[in-house]
Amino acid sequence: MKGYLGIDIGSISTKGVVIDEDLNIVASEYLWTEGDPMGAVKRLLKVLENQLKDKDIKIVSVGTTGSARKLIGVMTNASVVKNEITAHAVGTTTLHPDVNTIFEIGGQDSKIIIIENGYVTDYAMNTLCAAGTGSFLSSQAHRLGVTVEEFGEIALKSQHPTNIAARCTVFAESDLVHKAQIGHSKEDIIAGLCKAVVTNYLNNIGKGKKFRPPIVFQGGVSKNVGVKKAFEDAVGHEVIVDKNGHLMGAFGVAVLAKKSGIEKDFSFDVADIKFRTTGFDCPKCANHCEIVCVFKDDKLIDSWGNKCDNGTVKIN
Amino acid sequence: MKIGIPRALLYYKNEKLWTKFFDELGIDYIISPETTKETIENGSKYAIDETCLPIKIFLGHIDYLKDKCDYIFLPRIERAQDRETCLNFRAQYDLVKNAFRDYNLNILFYNDMGHKEHKEEKAFKKLCKYLHIKKSIGKYAYKIAKQTQMYYEMFRSENQENILKSTKKPKVLILAHAYNIGDKYIGEPIIHMLEKLGVQPIIAEYFDHKKCVKESNKVTKTLPWSYNRHLVGALELYKDAVDGAVILTTYPCGPDSMCNDMMVRDYKDIPLITLTIDAQDGSAGLETRLESFTDILNYKRNNNNE
Repeated sequence: MKGYLGIDIGSISTKGVVIDEDLNIVASEYLWTEGDPMGAVKRLLKVLENQLKDKDIKIVSVGTTGSARKLIGVMTNASVVKNEITAHAVGTTTLHPDVNTIFEIGGQDSKIIIIENGYVTDYAMNTLCAAGTGSFLSSQAHRLGVTVEEFGEIALKSQHPTNIAARCTVFAESDLVHKAQIGHSKEDIIAGLCKAVVTNYLNNIGKGKKFRPPIVFQGGVSKNVGVKKAFEDAVGHEVIVDKNGHLMGAFGVAVLAKKSGIEKDFSFDVADIKFRTTGFDCPKCANHCEIVCVFKDDKLIDSWGNKCDNGTVKIN
Repeated sequence: MKIGIPRALLYYKNEKLWTKFFDELGIDYIISPETTKETIENGSKYAIDETCLPIKIFLGHIDYLKDKCDYIFLPRIERAQDRETCLNFRAQYDLVKNAFRDYNLNILFYNDMGHKEHKEEKAFKKLCKYLHIKKSIGKYAYKIAKQTQMYYEMFRSENQENILKSTKKPKVLILAHAYNIGDKYIGEPIIHMLEKLGVQPIIAEYFDHKKCVKESNKVTKTLPWSYNRHLVGALELYKDAVDGAVILTTYPCGPDSMCNDMMVRDYKDIPLITLTIDAQDGSAGLETRLESFTDILNYKRNNNNE
């Protein structure tokens, strides 16, 4: 049977999904990128290969998404290289065809996607500032001496969430310290933080947008029940968290790879081939573009980063 | 005598007026070359943290010109279409005088201030007096230069209207100030990215200024800044003729911070994204945003055609 592989390489985590022709997930994995996208993908492919061992699946097409999509796309000979917003939207609408609003909070970014009749009609992403994303929550959890995993459960115990300034992470942090010093309980503060993340999100990302149900909440932070509840309180609708929510980008791009109809050779041996990248500053003009070259077994296969034709690297 | 014109800020609004004026008078001038990363790095040395990116670029251009000419040309323009310009444009002279105080720069400027009619012409008249140019010769040079600028703008505007009518590709209105969209380092990569994605960029700045500012009165009575009014007016005028709009802004821009928020909240029927450019490198974030944005436009188009 034909299979389609989708890989989502984010700054923090790398996700891989293999689907069959009926769009069922037959293999999946979630691991940390650890600043080495190529190494992470190699580890990912090993795991997926193992999961597929007893199944009669041949991968005919690969799709990549996430911030390292281009690099990994070259590495895996991908048919589709797509931005994460479209990939997530496709993934979610495939599993929840009636969804109208997608909230997503990841490790470093957050976005909202508005969908009408199965098509994305609007979206917004956080801009320069990463306030209220997963990394903020995990650093605050650390400060309070709890793990991120138990954060949500503790928040649910609170009766009176503390008000915490939500506009900016720096202010939120000093506010949090202050509230703790004057005697607010830990659960109230934790619940207040979850509320602050949601208020921040709705004000920054969701400003001026209508949140029509059904609403799906995904991304790493969606695993936090405290934030989920705070969203439900703020929006006044039920918020759905899919158990595969963290894989949605990889799933979406696998669906796109299938839809594209382009079939290319793929073998799990890629994990054993030596890939190497080098970067250099182009000396040809004052822009000093940082050019990245990708080598496969010491043979140059692709390059990018140049702003003009001067910086084009010849590929033999 | 050699005059240096920085290729930054209001140069992009008055390019033909300034160059033609000096051409007519037979005065030699140089224009600083297109912005590069180096320009921004050099400019940042003279700026404090809070200055906006275009001012840093502007200072970088002054840095280039500082030892290559006798005078640096820095007009002070207070109003356009009887609306205010950003304070930074009015402060240019003082800003440069202070930041480059160790270099003893000679600054040539005209002072286009106040509400009176023909204030621009009067400002040029004073400039001529300062340069010891005969009144009648100066007046003639100004007339020619003004006409050239006018025809140039008319041509640009008509050209945009024609593209708007003839192209079959999805059209995206780019709402950005002249000195951002015209800049090789800031605006040009965005235009290229859009073209590569199969989209026709329509540049709001190129539409007729008077018409756009007039139209902006329908949207807001209180917005003070002329150049922002131009963009708001362009959006109001052409919102039905384009598939979507990109708001391109540089960080941190005071007028834009208010005006962009208003546009995002008021125009809900048209796909809109805001791109904020800082001195950062790496175009990945921009590409992701523009790519997904054009995906939306294409889906919408196909949907409507079905």
